[in-house]
Amino acid sequence: MDKSAIATIRNNPGRVLTITVMTIIAGIQMFPLIWLIDFSLCNSNELFTNGILVWPKKIQWVNYVLAFTNGNFFHYLKNSLLINTLAVVLVLIISIMAAFACSRMEWKLKHAASILMVMGMMIPVHATLLPNYVIYDKLGITDTIWALLIPYVAFSLPQGFFLTTSFMSSIPKELEEAALIDGCGIYRILAIIIFPLMKSSIVTVSIMTYLNNWNEFMLAITYLSSKKWKTLPFAILEFTGQYSSNYAVQFAVMALSAAPALIIYIILNKHITKGVALGAVKG
Amino acid sequence: MHKLYSNKKVIFTLMAPGLFVFAAAILAPILLSVYYGFTDYSGIGKSSFIGLDNYKTLFQDSVFWTALRNSLFLAIGFICIQHPLAMLTAIKLDKLQGKAEGLFRCIFFIPNVISVAVIAYLWKFIYNPNFGLVTKVLKNLGFTGQLNLLGSGNAIWSVLIVLIWHGFGWGMLIYYTGVKNIDPVMYEAASIDGANGRDIFFHITLPLMKPVIQVNVTMAVIAALKQMETVYLLTAGGPGNETQFMASYLYKQAFQSYKYGYGNSISVMFIVICLISTVALNRIFAERGE
Repeated sequence: MDKSAIATIRNNPGRVLTITVMTIIAGIQMFPLIWLIDFSLCNSNELFTNGILVWPKKIQWVNYVLAFTNGNFFHYLKNSLLINTLAVVLVLIISIMAAFACSRMEWKLKHAASILMVMGMMIPVHATLLPNYVIYDKLGITDTIWALLIPYVAFSLPQGFFLTTSFMSSIPKELEEAALIDGCGIYRILAIIIFPLMKSSIVTVSIMTYLNNWNEFMLAITYLSSKKWKTLPFAILEFTGQYSSNYAVQFAVMALSAAPALIIYIILNKHITKGVALGAVKG
Repeated sequence: MHKLYSNKKVIFTLMAPGLFVFAAAILAPILLSVYYGFTDYSGIGKSSFIGLDNYKTLFQDSVFWTALRNSLFLAIGFICIQHPLAMLTAIKLDKLQGKAEGLFRCIFFIPNVISVAVIAYLWKFIYNPNFGLVTKVLKNLGFTGQLNLLGSGNAIWSVLIVLIWHGFGWGMLIYYTGVKNIDPVMYEAASIDGANGRDIFFHITLPLMKPVIQVNVTMAVIAALKQMETVYLLTAGGPGNETQFMASYLYKQAFQSYKYGYGNSISVMFIVICLISTVALNRIFAERGE
């Protein structure tokens, strides 16, 4: 910090107070996570000592080794990444197509169709848990990737559609009209003109879809039975059963499962903040 | 040109995937739920049509009312505790400027990117009466009694605290966006006119934040109604059915009590309640806005 900065702080006691209060709030928000990491490096017995945070006598990396080797961590991470990426791509393609039809094309039922698509936002996903179980069972797709992909896409689509529609109406029509005169078809216009112009909304929709589905596990618990397609939350759910008395290893698994999303967040922090703000305010 | 924009075939192909997904994954299950809600299907074997019996039972089911009361409790908790805190933090954060502003904004949101499974298990440990963080803090403060934070009477408060902690950054971020959209010229004009901090808050910030507050309040109510995952892992609806919510209760009825038909009638009521609440809130805010 340079001298002028210190001077401004001295001149402004209100700022010092604000920073103090903010630090306390940040402390409250972060402390459980620090506590988690602290104990993930301890021996289970050290949990029962009196200190709020414990300085481990010997850092127990073995907890993480166990978590890695016995937790199927990479397998679940791979599934999570694959399913979420597919969901994001599908939501984007489907919502941009529908948004174009509803905001640009001329047809009688377009308002009714838009309202129908957005209505999905009001339907709680867990209300479809029971009937979908029967449907997927009849179709023979329980315990396959489809059992997760279909509901993930379906329940992220209304918001994706809503966001892309509102962004699309801010794109000037002249660009497409020029292309139309040059003889471009609708699909080419979508791919060449609209898609590149929608960058910011694509980021927003991707982030919202990702945040919606990355942490999901209720559907996964209900529809999946084998390990094949289980997602990251299962690393924790299964471990707590398997190592029910070895708390430190459980802490390590939790820290490990939280890590990928946390790392992505820290890297893409600005985009995510902006995306959520845009998505929530418009949604 | 006009012709291309009203080409039925193009419109159909553009809309088909979206409408198909909506019909297959949202509409069809809802209709199936309505159907099963009229039956006494247990999950396996035969079922018979029992008309409105499930709904009659549901209205007399005290757990269903507990679930609704719990949602109301959460909604009030969010609106009266989480949101004022989030809004004040956002207003203060906006004035901070510089690197500190970005850093705090980043930190406040971190709990939101951590999986609900991690959050729920972590807080289960925090509340653990033997070695939990809360117990240790209380011990260090000289409190020696036994406190079961997930026990009867306390559990719903413990759930509320976790959810307030987890969702704080999200609410804060939305208020923050609202504050950022206020033109600083307004503040300058007000302070030239001799307005103090309180005047500015009540006469400029608050009125201009109204749309954002409405969005946040609506989202808080919906989140309170839809609550399931945190509660499922933290308390499993217990002790007894004290912290049951509609979603966790329908799950329990269908998969643990083998009352699949009854579970579906809860699903149907769940959807109806969510729809009514959303529409009602939008109505109220739309009328106020005029």
